[in-house]
Amino acid sequence: MVASLYSKESEKKDICIFLEHRGAGLAPVSLELLSKGRELASHAGWTLTGLLLGYQVAGAASEAFDYGADRVILIDNPKLELFTVDAYTHVAYQIIDVYRPGIFLLGATMDGRDLAGRLAVRLRTGLNADCTGLQLDVEEGRLVCEVSGFGGGILALIEMEKHRPQMATVRPGVFLPSKMSAVKSGQLIRPEIEIPDEIIRTRVVERVIGEGVDLTQAPVLVAGGRGVEGNFEMLNDLAQLLDGDYGATRPPVDDGFVERERQIGQTGVVCRPNLVIVCGISGAFHFVVGIQEAETIIAINSDRDAPIFEYADYCIVGDVHEIIPLLIKALREDRVAERPA
Amino acid sequence: MSETDHLIIDDAIWEELIELTGGAATICYQCGSCTANCPWGLVSEETISVRSMIREAQLGLPLNTANLWLCTTCAYCEAYCPRGVTISDVILGLRQLAWHDRETPPGSPSLLWSVYWNNNPWSQPPSHRSIWAKDLELHYYDPAKHDVLLYIGCTSAYDRRAQMIAKAIVHLLRAAKVPFGVLKDDEPCCGEAVLSLGHRQYFQEVAEHAAHTLDEKGVHRMMVISPHCYDAFKNQNHFLDKRIEVTHYTTFIADLIDTEKLDLAKPIDGTVTYHDPCYLARRNQETQAARKILDAIPGLKLEEMERIGEDTLCCGAGGGRMWMETDPGMRFSDLRVHEAKATGANLLATACPFCLTCLEDSVKGDRTSGLIVKDVAEIAALSCVE
Repeated sequence: MVASLYSKESEKKDICIFLEHRGAGLAPVSLELLSKGRELASHAGWTLTGLLLGYQVAGAASEAFDYGADRVILIDNPKLELFTVDAYTHVAYQIIDVYRPGIFLLGATMDGRDLAGRLAVRLRTGLNADCTGLQLDVEEGRLVCEVSGFGGGILALIEMEKHRPQMATVRPGVFLPSKMSAVKSGQLIRPEIEIPDEIIRTRVVERVIGEGVDLTQAPVLVAGGRGVEGNFEMLNDLAQLLDGDYGATRPPVDDGFVERERQIGQTGVVCRPNLVIVCGISGAFHFVVGIQEAETIIAINSDRDAPIFEYADYCIVGDVHEIIPLLIKALREDRVAERPA
Repeated sequence: MSETDHLIIDDAIWEELIELTGGAATICYQCGSCTANCPWGLVSEETISVRSMIREAQLGLPLNTANLWLCTTCAYCEAYCPRGVTISDVILGLRQLAWHDRETPPGSPSLLWSVYWNNNPWSQPPSHRSIWAKDLELHYYDPAKHDVLLYIGCTSAYDRRAQMIAKAIVHLLRAAKVPFGVLKDDEPCCGEAVLSLGHRQYFQEVAEHAAHTLDEKGVHRMMVISPHCYDAFKNQNHFLDKRIEVTHYTTFIADLIDTEKLDLAKPIDGTVTYHDPCYLARRNQETQAARKILDAIPGLKLEEMERIGEDTLCCGAGGGRMWMETDPGMRFSDLRVHEAKATGANLLATACPFCLTCLEDSVKGDRTSGLIVKDVAEIAALSCVE
């Protein structure tokens, strides 16, 4: 096996997080990774670094400190305004080569996956893709990545013995973001890195922001079937209260209640949310394959014998049109109570 | 002056296609029967021009993939081809080329990976393959003790609805006291899903592995539930020991009735109509066994639809369409339910897990149909007192 560019012996005891930003702030997955990174780093006595690439994104650095970063390495360059794998790889590679973190983590997002693969090859190191858990073996300084394989039937724990940095992409929504309780500041480092024009082989012609339906990224899903009778407004209300999104089986999509992008199942989207609330869905197999890898499944159906209950962690026998409004009401009251006076 | 596009003929594609399809396309003389007969013409104004696909293939023109993935490999066109072109082989050959160019429908690579990792096209854990039978106390196949291997297949193993077919067959075999075994978690995927998406190279690997496993287990006779698995083992798997007798379960059960080992005595009051699965009726000319079983049930009356036997209308799920979306209004199974309704039947029977899924979906979408969709095995089991 080819040796990585730097070895375990020359690594710094540092966890580096690739920070993704959306508009003004950091992406949720970056906050999740910072929070988990902080926990691991504090436990092991390591440092936590954020790597922030973009243009006019310095404001996002302070957010990284709020979530526990000891330092942020910021490359602010117009050529990094929009993600291109060429420019981002070029810059990230040089930073990693200089700062030599023992661990480098990215979110398993479109951009994160794109960058991680290319970067790992360039660094001659390994990459654990789409991890659902992280531990740090303090004595050995070894990152233990949890990867579920074979359709969730097997959980593999993967370690990298010699290669550095220990790279992993982590599935969004796995860790909880937690802000530091005390105000924390850190060190902002702004290295100069030149980005030659000729290395960027893609040119952004136009940037179109779609409706943004991407059920695969939603940590919470509310799914409706024929039994919902087209009342997806209700499901959307519930989804919004839970910071999630809503989807459907094929019949409501066929009937025009919901757009095709929201169809869950074998011929639609296969999702792995932390929580899915399945409403008025009998549980046909070609739908079930789209949600069965969810962490927790709650099913609501008026038919006690509906097959969906065999897959659910929590089963509610009843009418969705009665139960969901009650759930919405309870959640709203809860929110009001939580709000400081 | 307008200029016509030049035809660019690619000898490499031409030669590759001949190799991939065993020259199937070369004998076509472009009469167009295939285009006229293709069932897509029943659901859309524009039929798929199967003829032009064949012509383009003959000329080695660059691949036009627009309609390539619509084909359900139902072989209706083949039945009417005066030249005997195995048209679906040509289409699968063209799909193989599309794999080279990576112009395949979304999700199809995942299906192949699932067969690779999970030994099934449904992304289900291999260790869950025999959970459906956990209360049935089935025996692991032993050639010394068992007459026949019951091959479940991926869909009947994992799909809760299709599992009922497997359970019904177990019930019938026990009632007839047939010594049979199953391979539990060791059962290999037949690879038909892979083949239907045109990836013949990978299918060969899956087929070889399956043949090797069956050989190793000493199988001499097997009964298969899905007509797709049946066709894969009987006609497509060239690694399988020729001495292994492959039977579809309808044939096997019909034989049990013929030889008076199985008695379907409990009356079922009603009218049934039978939808012939393409992979059974057209590809394997097996049209009588299922009818024989239904006929043996006291009280049950069989009313035939318009398109029956080798003239059957596809449910829409063959050729990998089971894993692709078909727009509303374009689903053959909707037409089929309509035809079934017209017979006045209250039971719609079939003998294929894919047909069952599609027909049941269409029945659910048509609340006026009043039809119940069941597999022939399920109906027989209702009539069988153990």
